[in-house]
Amino acid sequence: MATVNVTPQEFNFVSYDAAVVERIAEKLVRDVGLGDATVDIEIDEKTPLGRQRIESVDDPVKLFVEGGAFEDPTEPRHLTERGTADVLGRLLFRVADRRSGRFDDAPADTDMSLQESVAWDAYCMGRLERLGYDVRKPRRQYHFRTRHGFNDVADAVFERLWSADELTWADVAAACAETEAIRQPA
Amino acid sequence: MKKLMTSQDLARDARFKRVPMQARALDRRLTEKQRDAILGKEGRKPRNQFSPEHPDAPDRARAMMHGIFVGEIQALEGAGRTCWDFEVGTGENEVPFALKLDMARQCWDEARHCEISVKLSDHMGTEIGEFGESAFLFEAACNPDPILRLAGVNRALEGLAIDVFNTMKEFGDKAGDPVLEFCEDWMLADEVTHVKMGSDWLRRGTENDPARRERALEFQRIVDKLFSGGGARGEEESSPIKLARRFRELAGFDKTEIDEIANLSKEALEEAKRAMAGAAKAYGS
Repeated sequence: MATVNVTPQEFNFVSYDAAVVERIAEKLVRDVGLGDATVDIEIDEKTPLGRQRIESVDDPVKLFVEGGAFEDPTEPRHLTERGTADVLGRLLFRVADRRSGRFDDAPADTDMSLQESVAWDAYCMGRLERLGYDVRKPRRQYHFRTRHGFNDVADAVFERLWSADELTWADVAAACAETEAIRQPA
Repeated sequence: MKKLMTSQDLARDARFKRVPMQARALDRRLTEKQRDAILGKEGRKPRNQFSPEHPDAPDRARAMMHGIFVGEIQALEGAGRTCWDFEVGTGENEVPFALKLDMARQCWDEARHCEISVKLSDHMGTEIGEFGESAFLFEAACNPDPILRLAGVNRALEGLAIDVFNTMKEFGDKAGDPVLEFCEDWMLADEVTHVKMGSDWLRRGTENDPARRERALEFQRIVDKLFSGGGARGEEESSPIKLARRFRELAGFDKTEIDEIANLSKEALEEAKRAMAGAAKAYGS
């Protein structure tokens, strides 16, 4: 049974409900295959920005999220369940990948290029979509094109990452090299 | 048919969600940039949010283009209402027929911009209604004086559109996105014409009425300052929206007027910092 702890429990700057975040995260922990992991989620409600980071992949898994990441873009200071699942699903898939042994040679998130990060995201979000979550693939494709190029090769690589299971970091790095070769021909 | 409609009367389908200005004004949260500015932190190089190297740039571009899309709808509605709200004549609340023709031409342009924006949204992976709609453009188009209305909408807000389109065109160019770049370039050309219409009618409509001209310019200044995004538009490297001097010159602004807009943006930034400083104190950062 997964345990999720959200901090803070009460929000003053936004109308978020910690119990809703916990419910979404508990389901995700099960869905992405993290079993009975404990996950601590710290939310900085004082900022409308939306950056996120994984602070620990070991138990307890620690995630830090700026409050804007969970915000409904049509209703300021209110939480969107779809967006919250989108953000947490991506982070938890990355945690699961790092714990799988297949991503042992992946650089730290802070040392990753934008191309590498977005390619890994495509792999995470494709799996999240197949679990039944509404992840808005076209948005992710635009992210990917912005980083990897507006061309057929980049689109084919995106589809490959999106529909893949059980990739390794080497597969993600190879995908990046493939689009790089088109962006900067020798 | 009703004249001088309000923004509450605008028709929208269920996909659109209106975000009132109060909702944003009451938001006490600070961005990192605002917090650093208030606390006087130095040493961190500010980054342009619309640079492709910025991690959030694609989503910021998507949100910006959705804002432009709803702005195009309101510009169409505003220009259409200007054709209808005023009778042809020479009185203060009347307009020359040629002004109505200009507004009709603008409606045609704005309708085309709406169609371009819908297709551009698809291209950028954005759903219609994914972001909230502010009605500020139409609200400026509710001024009962046609000359003030054109000063606020065509000179101030369409002027802002010039800066935004130019910024997004550059983003498309740097990100290697030819669809975004060309869409922005074509719409930018029309915006220059719309601003020029505003400049021409301001001059012609107030030729013998300096007091009205001053009222119109004052209304434009207010709109310019209110919608400078708290100083987001400027000439600094880190300004998300760049003041497009060359295009503004083409649209009939002189150097003094452009300098004034740059100064208004700086003032708006300082005011935003002061307002945010109060919020920062509230939670002791």
